Amino acid sequence: MEIDPHHIELIGRLAGAGFALGLGGVGAAIGMGMAAGSADEGIMRQPQAQSSMLRTMLIGQAVGGSPSIFALVVGLLILFVPAMDLAHVGGNFIAMLVGAGLAVGFGCFGSGVGCGFPAAAACEGLARNPSRSSRVTSVMVIGQAVAQSPAIFATVIALILLFFYQHPGTDWAMMGICVGAGIAIGAGALGPGWGSGMTAGGAMSGIGHWPRSHGVTLRTMLVGQGVCETPAIFGMLVAFIMLFAMQNLQNDIVGFAKAVGAGIAVGFGGIGPGIGSGIAGKSGAEATATRPRLDALVLRTMLIGQAVSQSTAIYALIIALVLLYVI
Amino acid sequence: MDLTTLMTIVEAGVGQTADTAASAITGVDLRTAGAMIGAGICMGFGAIGPGIGEGYAAGRACEAIGRSPENAGLLTRTMLIGQAVSESTGIYSLVVALLILFVMR
Repeated sequence: MEIDPHHIELIGRLAGAGFALGLGGVGAAIGMGMAAGSADEGIMRQPQAQSSMLRTMLIGQAVGGSPSIFALVVGLLILFVPAMDLAHVGGNFIAMLVGAGLAVGFGCFGSGVGCGFPAAAACEGLARNPSRSSRVTSVMVIGQAVAQSPAIFATVIALILLFFYQHPGTDWAMMGICVGAGIAIGAGALGPGWGSGMTAGGAMSGIGHWPRSHGVTLRTMLVGQGVCETPAIFGMLVAFIMLFAMQNLQNDIVGFAKAVGAGIAVGFGGIGPGIGSGIAGKSGAEATATRPRLDALVLRTMLIGQAVSQSTAIYALIIALVLLYVI
Repeated sequence: MDLTTLMTIVEAGVGQTADTAASAITGVDLRTAGAMIGAGICMGFGAIGPGIGEGYAAGRACEAIGRSPENAGLLTRTMLIGQAVSESTGIYSLVVALLILFVMR
């Protein structure tokens, strides 16, 4: 049974672009909806401040929409990137496109939702203190920018896959590496994007209530967001190991399963720790804003709690490395 | 449809000739491959719950310390005990994944 190479190419392009935009567009839509909902509530409470609230909402939605734009760009590249060797296009090409789609789809989901939390909290805060519009907006944009870094990691891996991993033919090892690296960084970026957005949201609602403590709150927010990103860095580490240090992976179905299993372990294993650290960071930033004098004590408790909640991400990393190197 | 037919169709779909593909994969290979992916699913999805749960405990501890800083020691201790208990399912996942990888495969 021979299949026309054009059809193989089309299968890969449609599946990959479907994953990229089907998953990657959802998060930003949820996040933008949260921002719009909060802005509505705020305008209902303080109709005279509607222009500053509308501006903050639109800035928050514009910045929070960029993960879905990453997904759109990568999705269009998946559809239209030229195939280097159309005569020998096969499973490797399909797996590369699906891997890039999974990476950017899952990766932009989390950051898209995450960017919605600070935007929503900023609109709520403005309803209380409309005079603080510029300070609230600048902290919101900082928080959103940090929450987007997991989506940027995922986009980088997707672009590496698209431009450097176009191999002809069908090899189990190469297919496993492409799909495994995509799941590792994609699902691995979901939790951290979501969690660092929650941390930024907590800081924003704190600054909305107590604008004077914005310096220490910003510091706690950035530390908390940094810890939230750890699972995404584990995912990127495993993706890079697969892409650049796995040339001698066995070329049979077992090698394929090793790479995909390692990707699932470190990718999905990062979701819980990322969101969990985000919950801890949210409360830590809020508590810091409420009682700025207790910032050292709260920061210490937050960091201990986040470190413990990262432990399962470390187990997942261990299992992934065992799969790649020991078994 | 038995497994060999399925693999033949999959292999034909990704561009290999059916004969070589069907003969290259044995039952032992499939079993090992299943163990690898199973260990990944076990640890990956098993890590979601403990991560969120421990973060929730840490968040509540931060709020409580913000409200009554004089009890910080007690609150941190309670948080750590709660997190250790909620860690247990993550450790079960780790143990089962290691069992799959080293004992069962």
